[in-house]
Amino acid sequence: MRIDRSTLSRAVPAAILLLLLAVLVTGCETDTPQNTFAADGEVARDQRDLFYLAMWPAIFIMLFVELGLVVILLRFRRRRADEVPAQIHGNTRLELAWTIAPALLLLVLAVPMMSLLFKLGDDPGEDAFVVNVTGIRFVWKFDYPDVKGPDGQPLSSAPGDPLVFPAARKIRFNVTSLDVIHSFWIPRLGGKLDAVPQRDNRFWLKADEPGTWSGQCAEFCGLDHANMKLVAEALSEEDFDAWVEEKLAGIKTSSDAAGAISAPAR
Amino acid sequence: MATAIGRRRPSLAEALRSAREVAATGHGIWSWLATVDHKRIGILYGFSAFFFFILGGIEALLIRIQLITPESEFLNPDQYNRIFTMHGTTMVFLVVMPLSSAFFNLLVPLMIGARDVAFPRLNAFSYWTFLVGGIFLNASFFTGGNIFQGELGAPDAGWFGYSTLTSTKFSPGHGVDFWVFGLQILGVASLAGGFNFIVTILNMRAPGMSLFRMPLFVWMTLVTSFLIVFAMPVIAVALFELMFDRLFDANFFNPDAGGNPLLWQHMFWLFGHPEVYILILPAMGIVSEILPTFARKPLFGYPFVVFSGLAIGFMSWGVWVHHMYTTGLGTVANAAFGVSTIMIGVPTGVKIFNWMATLWGGSIRLSTALLFAVGFVGMFTIGGLSGITHSMVPSDYQQQDTYYVVAHFHYVLFGGAIFGLFGGAYYWFPKFTGRLMNEGLGQINFWTLLIGFNLTFFPMHMSGLLGMPRRIYTYSEGQGWDLWNMMATIGAFVIACSVSVFIVNLILSLTRGEKSGDDPWDARTLEWSLPSPVPHYNFKEIPQVHALDDFWHRKYTEDEAGRPIPVVAGGSGQDEEHEEHDGHDIHMPSPSYFPLIASLGFPFIATGLIYHTALVPVGAALLLVGLYGWAMEPATEESA
Repeated sequence: MRIDRSTLSRAVPAAILLLLLAVLVTGCETDTPQNTFAADGEVARDQRDLFYLAMWPAIFIMLFVELGLVVILLRFRRRRADEVPAQIHGNTRLELAWTIAPALLLLVLAVPMMSLLFKLGDDPGEDAFVVNVTGIRFVWKFDYPDVKGPDGQPLSSAPGDPLVFPAARKIRFNVTSLDVIHSFWIPRLGGKLDAVPQRDNRFWLKADEPGTWSGQCAEFCGLDHANMKLVAEALSEEDFDAWVEEKLAGIKTSSDAAGAISAPAR
Repeated sequence: MATAIGRRRPSLAEALRSAREVAATGHGIWSWLATVDHKRIGILYGFSAFFFFILGGIEALLIRIQLITPESEFLNPDQYNRIFTMHGTTMVFLVVMPLSSAFFNLLVPLMIGARDVAFPRLNAFSYWTFLVGGIFLNASFFTGGNIFQGELGAPDAGWFGYSTLTSTKFSPGHGVDFWVFGLQILGVASLAGGFNFIVTILNMRAPGMSLFRMPLFVWMTLVTSFLIVFAMPVIAVALFELMFDRLFDANFFNPDAGGNPLLWQHMFWLFGHPEVYILILPAMGIVSEILPTFARKPLFGYPFVVFSGLAIGFMSWGVWVHHMYTTGLGTVANAAFGVSTIMIGVPTGVKIFNWMATLWGGSIRLSTALLFAVGFVGMFTIGGLSGITHSMVPSDYQQQDTYYVVAHFHYVLFGGAIFGLFGGAYYWFPKFTGRLMNEGLGQINFWTLLIGFNLTFFPMHMSGLLGMPRRIYTYSEGQGWDLWNMMATIGAFVIACSVSVFIVNLILSLTRGEKSGDDPWDARTLEWSLPSPVPHYNFKEIPQVHALDDFWHRKYTEDEAGRPIPVVAGGSGQDEEHEEHDGHDIHMPSPSYFPLIASLGFPFIATGLIYHTALVPVGAALLLVGLYGWAMEPATEESA
């Protein structure tokens, strides 16, 4: 089986183009529910832009290396069995150049990386709405310490109930777990945070506008890890207040409210 | 001595001695069980690891069949979790590490001009311990009930074994116990090998072979061995703590009793990231041998490639938190490890550019081995670049634990390590068999593997960025993941076909491959100065080394313009080869059964700790008998 010049020179660029096309198609599939490119919040958008910042140079270098390899293989194929090329042992200047240049490029990338890292790490402040997130095999449970019920206890929801929060406002999540490690993730709103037992991990997310998103546990947590999903709903300020009213009214009228908000038996 | 046995009941010492003599004939199964010859141990390592490669590959196919469509019911979640755990564990500990060990064993003594490794029996012990560890780990499949009804007993907490999922509360049954002890046994094997190769490389080089005249593969073996020696104790401690948690109700990782589940992650990844380089550096060494040979040009910037390998080795200790960005360690910790992860890309990039420059201006023979080596460079580059995107910490918050990560490390470990190892197999096969592997089948093998590999793993970038988490046994429609998963599954079967072609090629070439001669590739390093297959004593006379790529310089000299011209046969440097010498007066280490006996002790001890302590003394006795006999028998014996 001989691979001649024309097959190689046609097949490889075609394959690479196909792959790039795949990237573009993926980026355009904005209607898929967990697409990290289809950012609907400040955090996810910043993270996506940072990803692009690293992705485009990476694709450029990839093309350079892959095409470079093909060109080298074609151009320097052995044509005569006794052909022996000049024995070049190296070139210090060239090698220093391709050590220092990538180092500089990478350090330049480190600047936006650090600034976003510290921005996301900052405390969102007093204005942020707080939600306590608890991972329990294999459901999520959300409590709302900013909303006090008639008994002075924070508003709570049953495990598996949707996460509800106001849109266009920073939400601070306090994430923990009752059993094994889980990871709390709503891809279209932003990157994830692990739920570790006996640890209070914190981060913030923000939804630009009211909407509904899906998320799921991202850390392997056992048998039904694949089905540990959640629904997140951002409501406008008025709708959210109405939702709170309704919830509080429900607690007042329900006689077994305590049962509904306690941890599950599982 | 043989006549004495016929007359009276032989003493134990005599029986042992005659058993050793049987083994020393070099024929039959006993000679393999007792072998201390580095070449035979290398072959044993290679075949055993290849067997586990098939096993891990079948597990991969089961995973891919399950994921080919949404809501598939081919496997139940319990089976799926056990199979993906065993796939990861197998591929890391039972395939890539021992395949690399196979090449260390086969090549290092030949490349440095030695007759064997420093500790031949320790070497045998390392192999047998690896084998019993691998079998022990896989035996766990049978502990879950009736395996024929799909009741699997293997570990189910992932190859990373995160606490608290590995506690007896959340992982009842014995799967995780088998995992703990299996890895512990394999760690012993790795440590024995690691020490052996450090001492071999530092002490047994032929006269004239300074460190900077060593072939690059030997350098990478040295770095890898140091990484093994420093990394395995870290996971050994972590595994001991987990063992105490599980068997004796300790609370190292139990958060309810003040333990810390993140402690496990720190120790696991402090081992785990150097481990990544333990897996990839040997393949880098192989590629650095193949490219110069087939380009007929020295490795471009040898010192740069050596030092970048050393730099990777050192830096690999300072990047482990990039596996833990989302565990909530804090902004400053993430920033520090983000930058260190960025910087480890630099020495890696240096290597890639140096390999390209090695090929540039060469006279490249497009053989299968060369194609695999170039495939390594191409695929590893993609894995390295997606690694750079991981160092963008906040953006990695999105990709952590998604299929994007699965794509990344398969580009490094399959597109990288496995391609390199395949290339090495094609390259050095003639040295140990005297036959060439079939080139036509080799080309089919390479191109189908390249296509199948990219078809399997490139789409995983997409499904990951579309929000598909890892380790899920099922997914629902409408996520945009269906096409990518379908492609990946088809690709996995293309890979399976390609590996089948390799197996056919291996069998055909072993039995009726074309005779290769001693130096079929016009190669550069010392092993090619030896006959193929290599005689058991390797070198009749220990060579005197004058330069890097010494063997090349024996074949070629340079004219005034610096162009290489072949040395006339019988010219300088060739005289010593013609001396009459049949090698019979060379004393090689005697074969020994004791390394095998000693390593058989481990699975008994482990099984005893899991099921019934009565087995522990049995295993301990085997281990002690093995070590005692090993210590007391003569290492080399005068022939009777």
